[in-house]
Amino acid sequence: MRILVAMSGGVDSSVVAGLLKSQGHDVIGVTMKLWEGPNGEMPETGCCTSADSEDARKVAAKLDIPYYVLDYTASFSENVIDNFVDMYSQGLTPNPCVECNRSVKFDHFIDQAKKLNCEKVATGHYAKIVKNSDSFELHKADFLDKDQSYVLHMLDSKKLAQIEFPLGTISKPEVRQIAATLGLKTAFKKDSQDICFVGKKDYRNFVSKRIDVSSKGLIVDKHENEVGTHGGIHAYTIGQRKGVPGGQGEAKYVTKIDVENNKIYIGSKDELTTKKFLIEDVSFVDSIEYDNLSIQTRYNSDDVPCNIQKVDESTYQIELKNPTLGVAPGQFGVIYQDTKLVGGGRITSKVLEEVYE
Amino acid sequence: MNKNDYMYLDHAATTPMREVAFEAYKKTEMDAYANSSGGHALSRKAKNILEESREFISSCFGAAPNEITFTSGGTEADNWIIKTPFVDQEKRSELTTTQIEHEAVIASAENVDKKGYKVNFISCDEDGITNAEEFKQSINANTLIASVMYANNETGVIQPIKEMSQSVKDVNPKTLFHSDVVQAVATKKIDFHSLGIDSAAISGHKIGGPKGIGVMFLKTGYKIPSLLHGGKQELERRAGTVNVSGVAGLAAALKEQQQNLEEETKLIENERKIFETKIKEEFDVKIIGENVQRLCHISNIQFRNINSETLMVALDLNGMGVSRGSACASGAQKPSHVLKAMNVDDEVINNHLRFSFGWNIEIGDGNKSAEILKNTIKEII
Repeated sequence: MRILVAMSGGVDSSVVAGLLKSQGHDVIGVTMKLWEGPNGEMPETGCCTSADSEDARKVAAKLDIPYYVLDYTASFSENVIDNFVDMYSQGLTPNPCVECNRSVKFDHFIDQAKKLNCEKVATGHYAKIVKNSDSFELHKADFLDKDQSYVLHMLDSKKLAQIEFPLGTISKPEVRQIAATLGLKTAFKKDSQDICFVGKKDYRNFVSKRIDVSSKGLIVDKHENEVGTHGGIHAYTIGQRKGVPGGQGEAKYVTKIDVENNKIYIGSKDELTTKKFLIEDVSFVDSIEYDNLSIQTRYNSDDVPCNIQKVDESTYQIELKNPTLGVAPGQFGVIYQDTKLVGGGRITSKVLEEVYE
Repeated sequence: MNKNDYMYLDHAATTPMREVAFEAYKKTEMDAYANSSGGHALSRKAKNILEESREFISSCFGAAPNEITFTSGGTEADNWIIKTPFVDQEKRSELTTTQIEHEAVIASAENVDKKGYKVNFISCDEDGITNAEEFKQSINANTLIASVMYANNETGVIQPIKEMSQSVKDVNPKTLFHSDVVQAVATKKIDFHSLGIDSAAISGHKIGGPKGIGVMFLKTGYKIPSLLHGGKQELERRAGTVNVSGVAGLAAALKEQQQNLEEETKLIENERKIFETKIKEEFDVKIIGENVQRLCHISNIQFRNINSETLMVALDLNGMGVSRGSACASGAQKPSHVLKAMNVDDEVINNHLRFSFGWNIEIGDGNKSAEILKNTIKEII
């Protein structure tokens, strides 16, 4: 079948293209240009650099598949960048990869694939799609250290039917081995870890260049005692220790961000633990499950056993069986039943009110 | 790639080399490879080829042999003429050009602007014709250069060059009137002197010649500083070993083209018309510059509700090569500055594709191309 492969220029997507090609599929490689400089140039750092697209082009040439760089900058800017900046200004901790997957990679990209007569799209994500009798399930990758199902939680059965994740059963060293065997120049390329459009720079500068966030405010403890001042709430996230005024010996962390009153609350590590919180804009892969559930509250965090309870159509309350650190509004709560991904939604700031009750 | 396997409709970007050009290029590389500036027999052989070619090439444009200098291509010629005269001039000197020039001129003009000189970018109407009144108004005693392309590379729309040159001379007879004729020479007979063109840029590969060779025409009486410094080649105007094989290839290509120009352009125009008619019959499209004079080989089509990036990829997969605006280094494509200047709506500015025919087109290609395009559009809508 004809498959459109998203090629970032990294080893993972290179191997996806190689594997699908060797399985006899009609593979088309595409680098999504997500982000650009003021004159339309590809960025120099982060991912989506011109060096990356050049790597992707070389891999495509080696595999003898058609290859294109397509412009997704408008969609990315509108759905990912604006959202990223907006979330920080609201004292939330955004996850741009989730937004990108939701609105760019597995929406706009799938549409384009259909127009190009492709039956499926494929990416280098580490996750598994399992076909059931009449639906598709999303599972964690076999090698859990690389599992990326968290950032794919918004994909429902209908979407999964149009996607291939060929790396779900393969370990990273094996991926590199395959790349080397296929003679792909990306075989030993370093993985990118940064937020693609921020790169190695501080995200705070990125945000403050785009909106006025410099308004100074107070840093207080849970009893509203003033312990310092801050230069703008965008520079703080829940659980942050850096830049927080220290107490006598005991480390202090950001425990709450009060946007309305422009106040940062700090406290001890204990005050960061959460037991109950809400997730909103919840979606489920297929049917809702209630038994033997666990939740990840950040990408690659541990699974915490939980119960879920419906609040309304798109809001659920999560009750953790053990109080947990670092549940940050803006991040996603992703619910699993063993390796099967059940669904997920965005953690709301209401979690913090629970903490203070 | 075999012509039967792939419908190449991107001749405005570059053309396949004519057999005669390739042979001339190869023969020169084999038999007269010496440096044309040397003092021995092989050098003289190269020099003879160079000068014979110069005579022929200049005659094709009604120019004298010493009015043309060989360059690496059109971009170098444009850069040379636009940028170098501003080096030693007083800051009150001005440059006038249009908003729809090729990037080689636009970027050179921006460079002049950055140095502190006044640069006027003249607007155009919705058909892509430069606003004559605004153009004339911009010319004054300080206008050093006025630069207007003969025909646009994205739309094929032809400018009234003779009238524009005249309007410049009426105000300031000393102003150098430059014209980028790179795209126009593909299908137009051009005589520089009778059109009032004082300097021009030509590129070999747009007419079936080799890539990497071009011509800078400069009318006798005008002098501009060198762009490249080094050896004293090309009457001390341009340093660097002369690309004699490229020159020989260009001369051979031009010879074949000039001999067959009428026949070639008739065929191209005919096939392009068949192509446009077939597409218009079935789809709601707009052909840019349809009601004004344009080059016969370019068809810039605006589609309704079809993203041209997707269409271009789908066409490629179906065996047809076309292009959008100008490609950037990565291969992604930006909205065209030409269409923007023509006030094309933001909503449809990404719905354009350029189909450009060339010298190797055959009877039936218009029909064949229309079939591929029609089927591809049906796939993606």
